This record gives sequence, structure tokens and C-alpha cells, in this order.
Amino acid sequence: MTSRILVVDDDTALAEMIGIVLDTEGFETVFCADGAQAVDAFRAERPDLVLLDLMLPGMDGIEICTRLRAESGVPIIMLTARTDTADVVAGLESGADDYIVKPFNPKELVARIRTRLRPAATDAGESLRIGDLTVDVAAHEVRRGSTPIPLTPLEFELLVALASKPQQVFSREMLLEQVWGYHYKADTRLVNVHVQRLRAKVELDPDNPKIVTTVRGVGYRAGAAS
Amino acid sequence: MSAATAPRPAVRLRRELRAWRTWPSRVLGSWQRSLRFRTLVLTIALSTLAILVACVWMALAIQNDLFQSRRDQVLGDARRATTAAQATLDSALQGDSAQVRNVVDSVMASLGRQSDSDLVAMFRVDQTPSATAPQDFVLGGGNWDGQITDALRDKVRSDADVQWWQSIALTDASGRVVPGIAVGQQLNVAGVGAYELYIAYDLAAADQTLGFVQGTLWVVGLALIAIIAGISWFVLRSVTVPIGEAAHTSAELAAGRLDVRLDVHGEDEIATLGRSFNAMADSIQAQIKELAELSLVQQRFVSDVSHELRTPLTTIRLAADVLNDHREAFDPVSTRAAELLHAQVQRFETLLTDLLEISRYDAGSVQLELEPTSLAHLAEDVVAQMHQLAEQHGSDVRLVAPGGYSPVEMDPRRVRRIVRNLLGNAIEHGEGRPIVVTVDSDQDAVAVGVRDYGMGMRPEDQERVFDRFWRADPSRKRTIGGTGLGLAIALGDTRLHGGTLGVWSSLGLGTNFVLTLPRRAGAEPASSPLSLAPEGDGLDDLGLTQPIDVDSALRGKEST
Repeated sequence: MTSRILVVDDDTALAEMIGIVLDTEGFETVFCADGAQAVDAFRAERPDLVLLDLMLPGMDGIEICTRLRAESGVPIIMLTARTDTADVVAGLESGADDYIVKPFNPKELVARIRTRLRPAATDAGESLRIGDLTVDVAAHEVRRGSTPIPLTPLEFELLVALASKPQQVFSREMLLEQVWGYHYKADTRLVNVHVQRLRAKVELDPDNPKIVTTVRGVGYRAGAAS
Repeated sequence: MSAATAPRPAVRLRRELRAWRTWPSRVLGSWQRSLRFRTLVLTIALSTLAILVACVWMALAIQNDLFQSRRDQVLGDARRATTAAQATLDSALQGDSAQVRNVVDSVMASLGRQSDSDLVAMFRVDQTPSATAPQDFVLGGGNWDGQITDALRDKVRSDADVQWWQSIALTDASGRVVPGIAVGQQLNVAGVGAYELYIAYDLAAADQTLGFVQGTLWVVGLALIAIIAGISWFVLRSVTVPIGEAAHTSAELAAGRLDVRLDVHGEDEIATLGRSFNAMADSIQAQIKELAELSLVQQRFVSDVSHELRTPLTTIRLAADVLNDHREAFDPVSTRAAELLHAQVQRFETLLTDLLEISRYDAGSVQLELEPTSLAHLAEDVVAQMHQLAEQHGSDVRLVAPGGYSPVEMDPRRVRRIVRNLLGNAIEHGEGRPIVVTVDSDQDAVAVGVRDYGMGMRPEDQERVFDRFWRADPSRKRTIGGTGLGLAIALGDTRLHGGTLGVWSSLGLGTNFVLTLPRRAGAEPASSPLSLAPEGDGLDDLGLTQPIDVDSALRGKEST
């Protein structure tokens, strides 16, 4: 089954070129050049992943990102020309899973997309405990008691990564490699922002985290199962 | 305890003594620096002199006047008393010695009563003893009559009708010495002959008055000096304080605080100065603001251009990569074209990235991401990374790291970029000779030096080595894709760290770059743990680092 990718970019040449690259890699691409129609296009096409330019006419990428996140956990990769702190962090905070800086090469783009589309590589039927949560890996579901907590695939993967080795302290670099698929030194803000988003969903008190705890100067670890 | 505290007073005393010794230089310093101090000292000195002269003159005049009036009074008094005594004597009967004595005694007593003084003396002019004439009479205590000089007595003797006087010192009842006047005149005792009559008057009252007046004069004089000093201080203050404020404000303006202004009151010269100063400051501020805005617009433009270029560049990059991936399917010409396109797009991308980085420095929008990093390990990483490139150029890169292992706060990404850049330059210009990377540290700083034994640079080239887009030798074939911005970026990164990036180079001997970073942010290292100019490092023994004969090398190049 081919994955369907929605490319939201006002630059039609770039969108077409991305289309060519992705088609040769066996993806199916759909395009949207207008930010204002991006959410409608998403609803109509139901893509498996969204490539989203941050600077768009009509509605900016961050706003689109927020709206898409409100109705779906679909993987979102931002395309940005600016690496300045504020832009990237704003994009990540609005729910983008990853970002890629222009200009990028085709291999980089495809590698990013594949990482986000790969199926969770955990044994089926396994059920993990983390804090007062139950993580049903096979069903892709997290529950507190009987209440399911909706997570995006990335947040789920992050939680599973931590929960599967409850004794291990994960450095940001380890998480970048395991969850985001970066094999070289990448932006640790990805981890920081997504841990914050995950905590906002799973913690009873995000200011006093019990599920994903910070190990100062090292990284993160799973809270003790209760 | 006491042993611990005992030296303290001694130390303090010594310190004070030392402070005393510095007084002259401190006063001299104030004299040279402070207009107010200098003017005040001059004013006080000159007015003190003037007041002193006036007081002395007044004291002398008053003293003179007091003495003269008292003397005139005394002379009048003495004349009246003498005249009365003469009349008494003239009317008295002549008789024997005892009678004369009685008369004279009574006259003496009445003299004492009639004059203000009870100090009366009579001496017989004719000193030959006489049966009828009593010799000398002295009324009143003390030895005041002994002070009557012969000169006065001669004068009194020589003229029968004239009064003479002289100043004497009297001792009053309490034993105090007071000034006095002795007045002398002849007195004729019928049948006995002429007598010298002396009456002494004390001037204690006049002296007291004089003392009081002089005391008052001193007090008034000192008070005047104090008042003048106070007035000059206030007057000077009203002038020097605005001047001081103007100086302070100018200094602040010069230091870059463009919004400082002087408070202007009134219409006087000081106010004019203030207004002119403020007008000048306004003008400077406006111009600087204009320049800053222009510069900002330009920087933003560069930044925007760089960003705007990125989207089409991404498309080109993707296209070039796709073409490059399919180049086997093309004919040879197209294959080569695709390869060139691919390589040059990458170069273009590097250039754009560097340009963007430079524009960030210009805009001052770069922020360091500091983390504790071992410079020695970082250098080791870079050397390992570039090992292959160095081998391709035939250079052997050696790492000498006697220090610099302990972690220091730095932005490792940027420092790695600096070291990579320096090493890349050394490999490119190293002529295949060994390259030595040295890392060392001291108390305040860590440093890494990159030394090559290549051609080196001329002194005028060394000055330009950090300029943007400057190349050491434009005709030289470049083997490593540099943008010409590498050292400019390295210098920018170094400055962000508060460090220094120095260069030493000599034609034929090679080039040495030394990057020095402070251990603590903000403390700019005064010196580097590594010296910039080479010392004997033992590598010359290898015979690989013998100086290049520059002339023949250049000639060889020209002939080809």
C-alpha cells in the first residue's frame, strides 16, 4: 500500500519537484498551494503524512498545524527556510513532529518521511505500564484506568520508547535516534518540545511530572509503574 | 586574640602615615584637576593677604591713636598737678630742713591726689648735699623710678618750664607688667633749689582697650576669610557644577548613551552651553539613528534575500540530485553537465549558508548555545574527521595537546566550525607538509593553534586574512571548496565567545592561527596559553619543515 502525502506549499515548482522525488520513491502525492484550503484538502484526501511549508499565503503554517492537530494525529513535517529559534519552536509547539530546513536533498527528505511513516516496531500483544498508565502497544492505545488518552503516533512512540526500558535514562540524543531516526547530532529542541506536549496530555499535573521525569543534565526516564 | 589584634593599630597608623605622605601629591592632583579647588585656594590666599594687611594697618593706627590721646591726657593732668604743687610750694614759708621736708611731703601727697597717679618721685637737681634741702622723695611702690632714663633727666634738668615724657613698664598690683608713661618737669622749692618731679601713669586701660580691639580685628578678619571662602565656594559651585555636569554628560554621550541631555535653566552662558550641547547631541543621535536604520535595512535585506533564495535553491537542489542520480542514462556531455550542476549547487548552498551566518552577525542576532566542552577532545574529533582530506593533500596532521582537557563553557558547534575551518585552510595551504594542531590551557583561557609549514603570507596579506571574500592568492587553484567567508565567520564566532583569533605568518615558514577562548564568559583573556609566533618545536629536525625558498618557488611558478 502506497502512502499518500499531502504537500502544502505555495511554491508550485518546489511542490512539483518534491512530487517528482516522492513519486520515484513510491509515494503518492497530493498538493495544496493555498494555506486557507489546506485543512479542507486534508479532510478530502486523508493523507498519511503532511509536508507543510511554514510560510504560506492565506494562513500560515503554524496555524494550519494547530488546526490539523486539533482533528488528527497525522505526522506533520514542516519545511522551513529559517532556523531561527522562534520559528522552529513555534512550529514544533503547534504540533509538527519534525522539521526540515531548506535547502534539503532528496535523500534527507525521504529519510524523514520514511521514519515518520514506519510502523511501530514493537511486539504485538505487549502491554506496558508506566506510572498509572497502561500502554497497549498492539492497539496503539494509552489508558488511564478505563479512560483512553489520545496521542499522536510520535507521542505514542516516545512514550513506548521510555516505557519499554523503565530503568534506562534516555539522553535527548538517544531519543532523537530512536524516535526521530536521526543518526547524527540533531536539534534537541525536538525532544524538549515533544516531551512538553506529551506531558500536557498524560500527566495529571504537567508542572510536577510523574510519567516522564527529567533527569537533570542527562535526559528523561519513565516514571515508576504504580 | 590580643596577638591577632595588636598589629592593627600599628598598621592603621602606618597607613595613615603613608596617607600623610601622599597628601602633597593629592593636593597637587586636586590643584591640577579641579578648577574649583584651584580658584578657591587662590581666592582664600589673596583675600587673606588683603585682610591681614588691612587688620595690621588698622591695629597700628588704633594703637597709635589710643596712645596719643592717653599721653595728651596724661601730660595735661601732670601739668595741672605740677602747677598746683608749684603754687603750694611758692606760698609756703621758708624754713629749715624739717619744714621743707614737711612741705614737700604734703605737696607730694597732694600731687598724688590731684593727679590720677599715685606714683610720684622728686629728685633734687643739685646733687650736692644741703642741710636744709631734702634729697629725694619717691611715692608709690615698685622700682618704676629706676626706669627713668638719664636722657629724660638731662632734658628735665636742662629746661625749667618744659614737660618731658618717656614710656616705661609698670608692674600693677597683681604683678602684671603694664605699659606706662613717666612725665617729668622741674619744681622749684623756694630757698632750697630746683627739683625734678616725675609722675608715672599706667596705660593699663588703654592697653586693655587695644587688646580688645586687636582681638576683635583678628576675629573679624578670620570671619571675613571664612565668609569669603564660603561665598566663593557657592559662587564657584554655581559655575563648576554645570561645567562638571556637561563634562559628565559628554563622557556618557561619547560612551554611546545617545539619549543623555543636559538640564537647561535660564538664559546665561551656562544655559547657552547646555542648549548647544543638547543640539549637538540631538544631531549626533539623529545621524547615528539614521545610519543604524540604514544598516538594519541592509542587513534585513541580505537576510531576506538569503531566505528567499532558499526555496528556489531547494527546487534546483532536488532537481540536480535527481539528474545526478540518473546520469548513467545520459550521454557523456549531459552526464558531465549533471555532475557539474550537482557540485555547483552544493557550493552555492554553502555560500548561501555562510552569507546568512554573516548577516546574522551583522544583525547581532546570534546566540551561543553554551555547554561544557573539552577543547582537546573537540580538536581530536576535528583532526580525525579531516584526516582523509589531509591525506589526500599529503599532509600529516599531528595533535599536540598538553592541556585543554577540562571542559570549558563554549558553543561546541561553532568552535568545531572554527577549528575545522583553520585546519581546512592549513591543509589547503600546507604544501603537503606536516600540520601541527596544539591545544593548551592556563588559568584564564584555553587555546588551540593550527600551524602549517606552507608558503605563508606577506604581512599586508595577514591584515586582510579575516576580510570577507578575500583570498590569499587569487591565481591559486582552489582544491577545497571554500566560500571566502570561512575566516570571517571564524572571527565572528570567536568574538561571540569573547575570545581572540590571532594569526602569525611568514613567507616560506608557514602560518599559525591561534584561537583563544576565555574559561569564563565575558573575561577576555589578556594572554593566550599558546604563543602566536613559533618557538622551536622540534619538528624542524624532521627535515620536513625546512623553510621554503620563496624566490625560487615563485620563479618556478612564473615559468610554468
